[in-house]
Amino acid sequence: MSSSLSRKYVPLALAALMLIAGGPLTAEAQKKGGILKVGNLGEPPSLDAHWTTASITETLTNHIYEGLYSLDSDNRPIPMLAESHTVSKDGLVYTFKLRQGVKFHNGKEMTSEDVVPSLARWGKQSIYGKALFAQVAEWKALDKYTVEMKLKEKSAIVLISLAVPNNFGAIYPKEIVEKFAPEVKATEYVGTGPFKLAEWKPDQYIRMVRFDDYKSRNEKPNGYGGGKTAYLDEVRFQPVPEVATRVAQVETGELDFADDLNLDAYDRLKANPNLRPLVSKPYYWLVAVLNKKEGLMTNQKLRQAWQAAIDIEPIMKNVAGGRAEFYRMDSSLAMTEIVSWHTKLSGLPWNEHNRAKVQKLLQEAGYKKEPIRFMTTQEYKWMYDFALLTKQQLEDLGFNIDLQVVDWATLVKRRNNPKEYDAFTTGIGAFYDPTHAVFLTASWPGWTTDEDIQKLQAELARETDPKKRVALWEQQTRLFYDKVPVIRYGDLFGLRAIRNTTKGFNEKTERIRFYNVWVEK
Amino acid sequence: MTAYLIRRLLTVVPVLAVVVTVVFLLIHLIPGDPVSVMLGPDATLAQIQATRQALGLDRPLHEQLFKFYARVVRGDLGQSYFLDRPVVTALLERAEPTLVLTFSALLVAIVIGVPSGIVAAAYQGSLWDRTLMLISLLGVCVPGFWLSLNFIYLFAVRLGWLPAAGYASILADPMAALRYMVLPAVSLGFNQSALIARISRSCMLEALQQDYIRTARAKGVSQRSVMWVHAFRNALVPVITVVGITMAILIGGAVVTEIVFNIPGLGRLIISAVLRRDYPVVQGVILVTATAYVLINLVVDVLYVFIDPRIRYG
Repeated sequence: MSSSLSRKYVPLALAALMLIAGGPLTAEAQKKGGILKVGNLGEPPSLDAHWTTASITETLTNHIYEGLYSLDSDNRPIPMLAESHTVSKDGLVYTFKLRQGVKFHNGKEMTSEDVVPSLARWGKQSIYGKALFAQVAEWKALDKYTVEMKLKEKSAIVLISLAVPNNFGAIYPKEIVEKFAPEVKATEYVGTGPFKLAEWKPDQYIRMVRFDDYKSRNEKPNGYGGGKTAYLDEVRFQPVPEVATRVAQVETGELDFADDLNLDAYDRLKANPNLRPLVSKPYYWLVAVLNKKEGLMTNQKLRQAWQAAIDIEPIMKNVAGGRAEFYRMDSSLAMTEIVSWHTKLSGLPWNEHNRAKVQKLLQEAGYKKEPIRFMTTQEYKWMYDFALLTKQQLEDLGFNIDLQVVDWATLVKRRNNPKEYDAFTTGIGAFYDPTHAVFLTASWPGWTTDEDIQKLQAELARETDPKKRVALWEQQTRLFYDKVPVIRYGDLFGLRAIRNTTKGFNEKTERIRFYNVWVEK
Repeated sequence: MTAYLIRRLLTVVPVLAVVVTVVFLLIHLIPGDPVSVMLGPDATLAQIQATRQALGLDRPLHEQLFKFYARVVRGDLGQSYFLDRPVVTALLERAEPTLVLTFSALLVAIVIGVPSGIVAAAYQGSLWDRTLMLISLLGVCVPGFWLSLNFIYLFAVRLGWLPAAGYASILADPMAALRYMVLPAVSLGFNQSALIARISRSCMLEALQQDYIRTARAKGVSQRSVMWVHAFRNALVPVITVVGITMAILIGGAVVTEIVFNIPGLGRLIISAVLRRDYPVVQGVILVTATAYVLINLVVDVLYVFIDPRIRYG
């Protein structure tokens, strides 16, 4: 009897002890080796992280490079290549201590002589770098592992700018920075990340292999940052432009992970016992960007009328294929997942669908049914769908919408010319600080030059007290719904699929990452 | 014959000059901007303008055109904006998948199309004839992408017999290349076989009604010999023409098949280049395709001489 009890309970007791000790059980489960095949939509325009805001470049380059800071699971900045930082009492001098012993993929140690030129280059090319470096008076190395940033005035955006994953402040070896001027895209890819680029065959694959000398942080994985382990021998990103093929390949196991799938594949994927569909959020909030430089939409009353006219839920439901899992009704300009900046303000004129108000505003605007040129594209189905439904809703209430369907390359060119359109469709992805909201800048198409909005944006960039910043952001949100620089629709989510053999994937980040991921095959 | 060949080859030059000029003008005149696509959705106008300048896209169109001519004469097709490599290198990388797909699909098309046409003609009006022509009608009507996606669903997803998509080099791993090529070659070949079958049938029927066939039969020549030696050879000229045209079309890129089956060939290259306005790549692919088209036509013309001794080029 007693030996039988021992047989029964000793393993349980051992397992409990291991759980309490923390980790060995999970560590055992993690397995080194294997190739992970990831199917994505297309080719990156570049693997130079400083050079483009393209999301595919963001996804790929964050495996190869790292910046001084990264984002935690609440999308707040946490150190990555920086060990720590101090700020002078007057808030004008940031001193960053760098981690020691971090190696580039070429074997060289990363030091301040790489960090200073890398971020100077980023400050000249990246939209986030430019915004930060506009506030920088001096940027220099103090010693091998210390760098100093002197500001012209107090700034709230230093750490978050260094932490954003898109168009990010990746640290390159200084030799590469010297070789490629900021406006020339780098074609040599050496970083400090857990994976190094092995081979790029356009339209076939981008192979990244484990960087064995990677020096991970000691913390646990946290959002995009914290400890990173490359369990996989190789991550192979395969562009598969046809979405039905991506679905088929993840079903057959030719892909271990498929990104950017059509929402109508959800049921088919859910029925497959070998994989799991993942709802990816945040993704985009749908937006009609209004041209405030020239034409009809310079009229604030007309913009307010558009905002008051639309009935957002049926549009979102339709775009999301009728599935509640794939959309969210929310008026906050920052998405729910961006904890610091998500707002819950009541009384905003969002999703009103108020016929009387629309008629009044149209009359006040002096609108005489002139055609409003609304550009969209069929290359992104969700853009076309919401533009089409918007046209129907607006025309029911007295607007005259000239829907212009063009290809994406045409749209992104024409949107830079204020003479060519009144509104265009796009999506607003996650932004991690209010100052990074492109639709509130004067330089981005649509041109939000409104003085009150710009004044508040400038205050938000200067103010460093977190509570005061939140109050300013709430004020900005109310102002947004009054000035209506763009029309905010609902949040749309994306669809991904992961094979059951792929383990450790962090489902909570906006973009996919494959460090800390392993395969069991 | 030699003089004819030289004359034909010389006519290639003006044809290509016209083609590249028209393509250059068309691709530059349609709206769209490679730089806006390259720099991403949040790029500012200042960034876009700086990069346009760096790539020389801010220069007047005629200046860009003459620079393009000068480069082509030197055999340099320029640098892809997106692929980080010269256009010539990109084309060479894509040539193998497209050629393998072209010849595999062509093989399937000929193997299905020619015998079907002959059998249908030999048994004109029979159940065989009607069934084969119905199938060939389906081949013409069924859209390539629909057929391809259904093949993937059936043979890859449901049955698991073949991979859904992808490509392996025939030089590196012939067996894997074969597995990857079966579905695209069959779906593309089936589509193309329809036309070949219908042409083969009508040409065979025409040949079978000629006096020399009646004479051969009167002399007691066997049915097999009548069909293959007397009728088929004479019916072959139009069939060769169709096969040649099919081949030229396929080399230009079996766009849909390459995209659905994720084959990194010329068709896929030109689609992504057009969508991203990668001007040098578009021009390069069109130049190669036009050259292939002209040369294949020349080869077909030369083949006529061997098939039909009555044809002579002076």
